[in-house]
Amino acid sequence: MQPFNPLLETRRQFLLRTGNGIGAAALSTMLNPSLIGSAMGEGMQQYGGLPSIPHFPGKAKRVIYMFMAGGPSHIDLFDYKPIQRKLHGTELPDSVRQDQRLTGMSSGQKSFPCVAPMFEFGQYGEHQTWVNKDLLPHTAGVVDKITIMKSLHTEAVNHDPAITFINTGAQQQGKPSMGAWLSYGMGSVNENMPGYVVMISRGRGQLQALYDRLWGSGFLPAKHQGVKLRSAGEPVLYLKNPKGFDRESRRGQLDSLEQLNDLNYDKFADPEIQARISQYELAFRMQSEVPGLMDIEGEPDHVKELYGPQTDKPGSFARNCLLARRMAEKGVRYIQLFHRGWDQHGALPSKIRQQCEDIDQPAAALIKDLDQRGMLEDTLVVFGGEFGRTIYSQGKLTKDNHGRDHHGRCFSMWMAGAGVKRGFEYGKTDDHSYNIVENPVHIRDMNATILHQLGIDHNKLTFKYQGLDQRLTGVEEAHVVKDILA
Amino acid sequence: MKKLLILVLIPGSLFAGTIDFNRDVRPILSDTCFKCHGPGETKGDLRLDDREDALDAGVLSPGDVAKSEIVKRLKTADLDELMPPPESNKTLTPKQIQILETWIAEGAEYDDHWSLVSPKGDDAVNSLDHFIDKRIGAAGLRPQPEADRRTQIRRVTLDLTGLPPTPKEVEQFISDRSPEAYEKLVDRLLASKAYGERMALAWMDAARYGDSSVMHADGPRFMWPWRDWIIKAYNSNMPFDQFTIEQIAGDLLPEATVSQKVASGFNRNHATSDEGGAFAEELRVEYVADRVQTTANVWMGLTMECAQCHDHKYDPISQKEYYQFFAFFNNTTDPGMQTRNGNQAPFVEVPDEEQMKRLAELHKQVTSSDQKMEDYRATVAKSPEFQKWITKKSEEARKNGGTKQPEGLIHWFPVNAPAKDFRDELTGSAAVAEKGKFEVSDRETSKALKLNGGTQFKFDTPVNVEFNLPFSITGWIKPSGKPTGAILSKMDDKASFRGFDFWMEGGKIGTHIVNSWQKNALKVVTTETLKPNQWQHVVLTYDGKHKASGVKIFIDGRLAKSHVQSDTLKGTIKTNQPLRIGSRSTSSNWKGEVDDLRLYSRALREEELAAAAGGDPIQEILAAPAKDRTPADNKTLLARYLGSQDKAFKGLVAAKAKLEKQIADLNRKPVTSMIMQDNPPNKMRMTYVLDRGAYDSPKKEEVIRPAVPKALPPLPEGAPANRLGLALWLTQPSHPLTARVAVNRYWMMLFGEGLVRSVGDFGAQSTPPTHPGLLDWLAVDFMESGWDVKRMLKQLVTSKTYRRSSKIESMHREKDSENELLAHAPRFRLQGEFIRDHALAVSGLLNPTIGGPGVKPYQPANIWNEVSLNGGLRYKQDKGDKLYRRSMYTYWKRSSPMPNMLIFDSPSREKCVIQRQRTNTPLQALVTLNDPQFLEAARAFAERLLKSDKSDTAGRIDLAYRYATARLATGREIEILTQLYQKNLTRFQSAPEAAKEFLKVGESPRDESFDASEHAAWMVVAQTIMNLDESLTRN
Repeated sequence: MQPFNPLLETRRQFLLRTGNGIGAAALSTMLNPSLIGSAMGEGMQQYGGLPSIPHFPGKAKRVIYMFMAGGPSHIDLFDYKPIQRKLHGTELPDSVRQDQRLTGMSSGQKSFPCVAPMFEFGQYGEHQTWVNKDLLPHTAGVVDKITIMKSLHTEAVNHDPAITFINTGAQQQGKPSMGAWLSYGMGSVNENMPGYVVMISRGRGQLQALYDRLWGSGFLPAKHQGVKLRSAGEPVLYLKNPKGFDRESRRGQLDSLEQLNDLNYDKFADPEIQARISQYELAFRMQSEVPGLMDIEGEPDHVKELYGPQTDKPGSFARNCLLARRMAEKGVRYIQLFHRGWDQHGALPSKIRQQCEDIDQPAAALIKDLDQRGMLEDTLVVFGGEFGRTIYSQGKLTKDNHGRDHHGRCFSMWMAGAGVKRGFEYGKTDDHSYNIVENPVHIRDMNATILHQLGIDHNKLTFKYQGLDQRLTGVEEAHVVKDILA
Repeated sequence: MKKLLILVLIPGSLFAGTIDFNRDVRPILSDTCFKCHGPGETKGDLRLDDREDALDAGVLSPGDVAKSEIVKRLKTADLDELMPPPESNKTLTPKQIQILETWIAEGAEYDDHWSLVSPKGDDAVNSLDHFIDKRIGAAGLRPQPEADRRTQIRRVTLDLTGLPPTPKEVEQFISDRSPEAYEKLVDRLLASKAYGERMALAWMDAARYGDSSVMHADGPRFMWPWRDWIIKAYNSNMPFDQFTIEQIAGDLLPEATVSQKVASGFNRNHATSDEGGAFAEELRVEYVADRVQTTANVWMGLTMECAQCHDHKYDPISQKEYYQFFAFFNNTTDPGMQTRNGNQAPFVEVPDEEQMKRLAELHKQVTSSDQKMEDYRATVAKSPEFQKWITKKSEEARKNGGTKQPEGLIHWFPVNAPAKDFRDELTGSAAVAEKGKFEVSDRETSKALKLNGGTQFKFDTPVNVEFNLPFSITGWIKPSGKPTGAILSKMDDKASFRGFDFWMEGGKIGTHIVNSWQKNALKVVTTETLKPNQWQHVVLTYDGKHKASGVKIFIDGRLAKSHVQSDTLKGTIKTNQPLRIGSRSTSSNWKGEVDDLRLYSRALREEELAAAAGGDPIQEILAAPAKDRTPADNKTLLARYLGSQDKAFKGLVAAKAKLEKQIADLNRKPVTSMIMQDNPPNKMRMTYVLDRGAYDSPKKEEVIRPAVPKALPPLPEGAPANRLGLALWLTQPSHPLTARVAVNRYWMMLFGEGLVRSVGDFGAQSTPPTHPGLLDWLAVDFMESGWDVKRMLKQLVTSKTYRRSSKIESMHREKDSENELLAHAPRFRLQGEFIRDHALAVSGLLNPTIGGPGVKPYQPANIWNEVSLNGGLRYKQDKGDKLYRRSMYTYWKRSSPMPNMLIFDSPSREKCVIQRQRTNTPLQALVTLNDPQFLEAARAFAERLLKSDKSDTAGRIDLAYRYATARLATGREIEILTQLYQKNLTRFQSAPEAAKEFLKVGESPRDESFDASEHAAWMVVAQTIMNLDESLTRN
């Protein structure tokens, strides 16, 4: 029996993809995990992934991406300017709007009154960073650990193309998600766990749709698709043994199955058969490993309290943040939390408050928790949505109520850990938080930066499909935002 | 094609002895040089895709390697000089450089890119094995002998039908010793219906077929008539050229049939959006781009989409040529913003055979139900009970005196104290309270029905009111203030308000008579309001001439002035919604009191109004002497008797109402399928080059006309410059790509990989064919046969190459690890759909119904609502035999497809996919071990074994192997599984509750006559066999 790494795609496809440049010697090296230089560093075994990765030593071993689906208002959270109090109620000047295309939802409005946030802001941390005092008190407490980027921008101004763009690098369907790219490039360090995990929490506002493609594998092999960890039912689909059939019985069944498959291998000498046996073993181990990870009983109270009262609620963002840390500890490479409900076209003041109640404490807790465990050093944490929102009110502006439409010309995200500067702000927008005036960061640049922190040159992480060397960042140029790196 | 001998043997090459530009050189140049020195860009004024250009630029010196600049630049240590430049991330291996050197030494000859030159056949060859054997021989390998017959029948049955052979079919084949046995088998498979399904499934990936619209809400759509068309086309062996023409341009064919239009839906399968804020034109351009990409990819293996923003970097397709191709698809009538609910126009109504059959059956039942009622009436008319009733009622009537009543009363809803409910006194149909409860109030001496703005009643009785028939509605009305709402209606809010109502609007009274609000409807309302909180008698008459002028409204006998709000009625107002009092189907609850509502099947005359306002309509008839009663009078009496006194008759009425409802249900949902349709010539949409592909940057200086790329043959003479011309062009014999691409896909289906392994790309970046002569030979043969698909497949599966054993010899692995030469047959995992179908087939659960709408088998909870817009969309699992249809019919929601299939590499079908990945993962093991669908199949499989004529353990295990692997179980296998069986039997016997739990999975019933422990233990064995690598693999 020859060694065969089960997490690699089939031998045939592997050879096809890498072309004919790999001889048998190289192949056997690649099939033996212990011989691979691991991107996770010393003492960690790596399964799958490309031999050329890391392209250079990366600061991050893993990513936790808190994706705020629906387009959170950068104006009401991070990109505040005191002058906006004076602009409140004034018409958005044409000189600011320029020839901006507006979505069909507000393009018919006769008036575009600017709205200053209806919240208190305060300045926090060493650099006196403006943060919404009412909504993000906990985040305010960790500003010295994160970099806030205020100059993200995207071409898409509608949910479907925008959320597809930022997660897969293209507005149209069919491309692999960032997590799938990482699984393909970096493999996994815990073969009993998926390399790319997705968790979804519901949020309380208008729920825009999510799509499997956001964590899908596109043209990459399906094994790279994100695996949804779920709060209700089985944590991973089809994970539980059927009722009446316990783990011991399953073990016995798999032993018989292996013996039978071995007989078949003797007949056909097809390494695929050995690979299949390994997959069944992996499945068996996953069945014990995953449920243990989902069970937070063993977490001390002070940790649960750190993430806030909702931690007790399965499916909440708070619970997912805590689970994300547990996954990170177990070697999952890419953990993406989708929190829905940020699409505040109307009643923004009350709805954004609800949303922030759900996310502020857990997000800040995750930073603190990782930091106190020393894991922030090599965990890249990302927080943000698919676009921002307009300074002008969508619908009627009243004393205490208004809405905001989608805005792609600028929006804010924050990053922390793994070589990202602590306590830093990057990029500037104009007084209306409408246009970027300094250091624009396209979402492609953002994705290139995430890859860079993992030791990947975004130009070199490619997969040949339909005649092209496809990459996450597409054919347009992308630049690593080096200024935010320590 | 010129072949040159190379002097140095290329190490590791399977093509010892010759160098071929297209096979050996072009892939290197294309991948590493063309991006900057190719069709799209000429950095430093250098093109390397053209020999003349390269020679002119002075970088190539044919025959002189040392003098050739190109070689120097490949080998230099100076990073500024090095090619390809380091930032390109491309490097040439020493072997590749050696190939280029050899090529230059031999004269640096170019060939046109192989796939753009028309294929040439070879008349001297009469079998594909010739090409395969030649290369195997040259490589010094020995091909495997023919596989054993059991392997052969399982292989070819799975490949051609996606289903395993039954043990009976296997035995038949084994025992057929005639030399034609295999051929007969292949003929049988190609003639089976499952063949069309199998072929359709592959086509569905390419055609990006789905049951939902993909973007934003990803709402439902109905394209399954298109899928049915595909299945039929394959099963009837429609020639591939016709198959092509109808799908690309079926709508443009002269006198296009419904079926041809349905076929054109190929290019409506793409993703569409309904997102509120979206830019319609941006989306529309995206749809057209998708059609270009898919059409070019599926038929030509060209990545034309690369030229949307700039000239193609590798293939001879300029940006302008892209938009010329784009223009073929840019003149369609479908909009950018599309619906999230159902089919977006243009579409055709599709006669659905199943539906027609059911309708015909229902109409027959209605006729027989009418007859039954007629017979019953005739019987009752003569019955002594009826006569007794008349006599009794007549006496009462004569005592009270009757008023002359208008004829034509069809429904009457009086409210009589102290009744606890009320009914249609003429048909006997009782009111069903849909909302609220029955409340009465007083009206003078009588009682009345009180509607509080939340109550509504329905009546399941047929109502014959139509747009072209007269009718009248009368009643006593006491509005509560100035209400708005429907007093009486038969209307479907959700079908553009089809139907009619007796309507109040801010205290004014009138009617809607609607086919489709507002474009086909009539609305008349009085200009005055009814007096609030007072009883008034209102009569509304309609003359059936579908004009507003034919509506008259009388208040207390006086003709009221009215206002026409809509006068466009011209079609049926039939709806399956029942007659209601108090509201419409879902809205417009009315507030007030009402009594004595009547519906007449004629327009009452003014002089009849007073009579309609009071008394019992039959009192006058009853009061008259029996001899003076007209036949119509007698009928009314009988109706009254039956409606109020006869329970059996009420049953008949209800039965008929049920039938009518079923008919209306069927008619309400005509089956449609989206199609392609072009704007007329005078409204043609202009096409321009879009600068950098941006929808809002058309270069208006030049109008782009539909045309094909210059590197390919021109449109056939006389062909129109539209999609029809395009389809004819694709299928003309001189087209170098269509036939090659098609046969290559068939090859992939049967051999796991294409002869051109980049199945979706035949351009410069493609993998050259492993057997170029064979590819051409097949392509020419395919065209010459009249594009006969079944014949082609038969040719492939009857070849020696196909029928070989799949055993891998160490020699094969050393010399040909990718099995390019096919010295042994390929072995590969079945695709996800076939793994599920296999489980259903061996278990006996499979429901072989062909075609029709998607079905919803088991799916874990909350998969849809976790991601759906607004979070409320639930997957509603089907019941019964729909759980066991072939997997190709599984409802395919493209933003959240069936997870057990995605895990097995099924594409989401948001975009065209020509070649699936084939992976092997732990999640797949979890599916076949724990998914209820597979567990239930194991339970049913176990039951099948228990029910078989085999009564011993070994016999049953052997039978299970015959089902799942088509072969007999070996002694060792029987031994292993017997042990497994015994162990589980013991365990289940000691824990009978566990056995019962284990057997509970799935909705199909279990045969309770089998001992639970025994059945459960067999279920473990069955599941183990279904999970064998051999079961999951096409060997």
